[in-house]
Amino acid sequence: MTALIQSPLIQLSGITKTLKGQDEPRTILSGVDLTVHSGQSVAILGRSGSGKSTLLSLIGLFDRPDGGQYILGERDITKLPERKAAQLRSAEFGFVFQRFFLLKHLTAAQNVAMALVNGQGWHSRRKRKAKVLAALDQVGIAHLAKHKPPRLSGGEQQRVAIARALVREPRVLLADEPTGALDTETGNLVVDVLLSATHRGCGLVLVTHDHDHAAKMGRVLSLHDGKLA
Amino acid sequence: MLSGKLRSAVIIGGQGIRARKLRTFLSMISLFMGVLAVVTVQAGAEIAERALLTDVELTQGIDGTRAMYIPDNGAAIVEDTVRGRKDAVAALNMSAIIGEPGVRPVNEGGMPFEYAGQGRGGPRGYKWCDQNGCYGAEETQAPKPDGQAIEVRLYALTGDVRTFRPFRPVSGQWLDFASAPAMAPRLVLNREAAKGLRQYHVPAEMQVTGASANMTPQITGVVDDGGMEPAAYVRIDELRTWLPSTAKQNGGQGGPGLQLLLSPGTSDLEQTLRARLVGLGIPADQVQAHEIDSRSRMSSQLSMMRWIFLGLAALVLLIGVAGILNVGLATVGERIEEFALRRAVGTSRMLLAGIVLSETLLTGLLTAGAAIGAGVVGLKIGSQIFGGRHPSLQGIEFPWQAGVAGVIAGLVAGILGGLIPAIRAARIPIATVMRA
Repeated sequence: MTALIQSPLIQLSGITKTLKGQDEPRTILSGVDLTVHSGQSVAILGRSGSGKSTLLSLIGLFDRPDGGQYILGERDITKLPERKAAQLRSAEFGFVFQRFFLLKHLTAAQNVAMALVNGQGWHSRRKRKAKVLAALDQVGIAHLAKHKPPRLSGGEQQRVAIARALVREPRVLLADEPTGALDTETGNLVVDVLLSATHRGCGLVLVTHDHDHAAKMGRVLSLHDGKLA
Repeated sequence: MLSGKLRSAVIIGGQGIRARKLRTFLSMISLFMGVLAVVTVQAGAEIAERALLTDVELTQGIDGTRAMYIPDNGAAIVEDTVRGRKDAVAALNMSAIIGEPGVRPVNEGGMPFEYAGQGRGGPRGYKWCDQNGCYGAEETQAPKPDGQAIEVRLYALTGDVRTFRPFRPVSGQWLDFASAPAMAPRLVLNREAAKGLRQYHVPAEMQVTGASANMTPQITGVVDDGGMEPAAYVRIDELRTWLPSTAKQNGGQGGPGLQLLLSPGTSDLEQTLRARLVGLGIPADQVQAHEIDSRSRMSSQLSMMRWIFLGLAALVLLIGVAGILNVGLATVGERIEEFALRRAVGTSRMLLAGIVLSETLLTGLLTAGAAIGAGVVGLKIGSQIFGGRHPSLQGIEFPWQAGVAGVIAGLVAGILGGLIPAIRAARIPIATVMRA
């Protein structure tokens, strides 16, 4: 496991981001430096509106920084065009959100398969099914593959969402307050499932308000005045 | 093989349609009327053109046939040249009276029996005058007494004219050109002539101007030749027993007495005939052939009507497009989070737009399929109901052009109705999922 943590996966240096408000621009991030290694888990704490989600959206290539440098592996992706960013989001990142964002009309398996049916490469039906079942098994709900979200509990739904994030075997798992809508016990279960992904060398960045959950991570950082400490 | 992107678009599009069945069905209903209108107009135009063409072929001849009109003095040479040939048929055209001899036929002038009793050009003794004087039916001979006779246009044929004019059989047999000629000429009547015979019960005696004697014809069959006036068809060799080629014929009012129909690709025969007729002293400009091309002549006439109706159908289709567009925009508004999530998991903007377009395209194609199906069934039922009254509708097939038009209309409606929703879907920012 120690060997897995050696190589730097994400390197952010001097990242700045300013949002255009109604009155005047508001600086959210002002020179953020962050390094995440393979297999490492990082918790980011901070007040509401401190820019935690903005930082996560920059790491996940949902948005681009105004300044600074972003290196993924050995590749500078600071100013990546959208088409290539979509490819990287598919290949390198897995996302878990506070709300589960499962499609009600699809089964758990189909929701997980959504990450495979995204136009980035093609998997045969058989291969897709095997990958989906493996991902569901990884989070312990393979037996619920054919259930639709309305029939699942909050914790089960979040685990389906985690399986969706893991199904492409990403190098980085980004979780934005994944336990925010869950009770403590279920939240703990979900965090454990997320942490288990790091055992395979996956980097984990967890944004949370919960200090107990943060304490389970390898590193705990706090975002304050646009800077990580 | 389909690319991963296309497969993904079709799979996700199909899931979207299945998830919103009622909405898809409602948008299909509005589009259905539009596509059905296009299919109906296209099918109607094709069927009308075909029906008209079939009727014109009965009277004028099949497209590509070459027609020549031969002056009376060239008739014998033409008969001699084309006798026994299948690629050319000469038709000698004259007036004949069937019934009591020496009487005035009920339809004098060979007019349809609907106007029987009104005489040639109007009631008997009818005159019309203008500033230059008076004209009309000034009878020079003593009028004949009324009697049981009908006047028909008689076509004496050198061969089977149905190669060129596909008459529809009504009853009995067509002329048998393979057998030995009969002394009593065998006649095939058209429907109008048959109607006259049924209506007036005339005796079986036929008078032809210039014939050595009246004939006793045998009526073998009835055909629909598309003509309004009573007509009869006879083998020319059977007629020649009674009417020598040297006899002066009543070569039809308003045109020469002999028409020659030639198959396409018989230019050698045409050249030979022309040379022989010119050699006989007939001026070359009177021996002209023209090609029958009814389809293109009618197409130009029908195309304007077709475009007018297609324009109306397009308006109905536009209403369907507005329906799809409305539903599409509402659906995109409802699926903002889904689309943002799909972008988050790596779906590109283009593919996202493709997914929305594929949903509307699938809806358009399904609608087109339903409209085409309705068209096929409707035509089948219409053909069964109206086929008896309109022979051209009997056994009619759904024209493939209407099917193609329906598919195109469905696709166009799908694209037009899905384009704006697709653009909107592609512009949804991913950060939506972060802020939700």
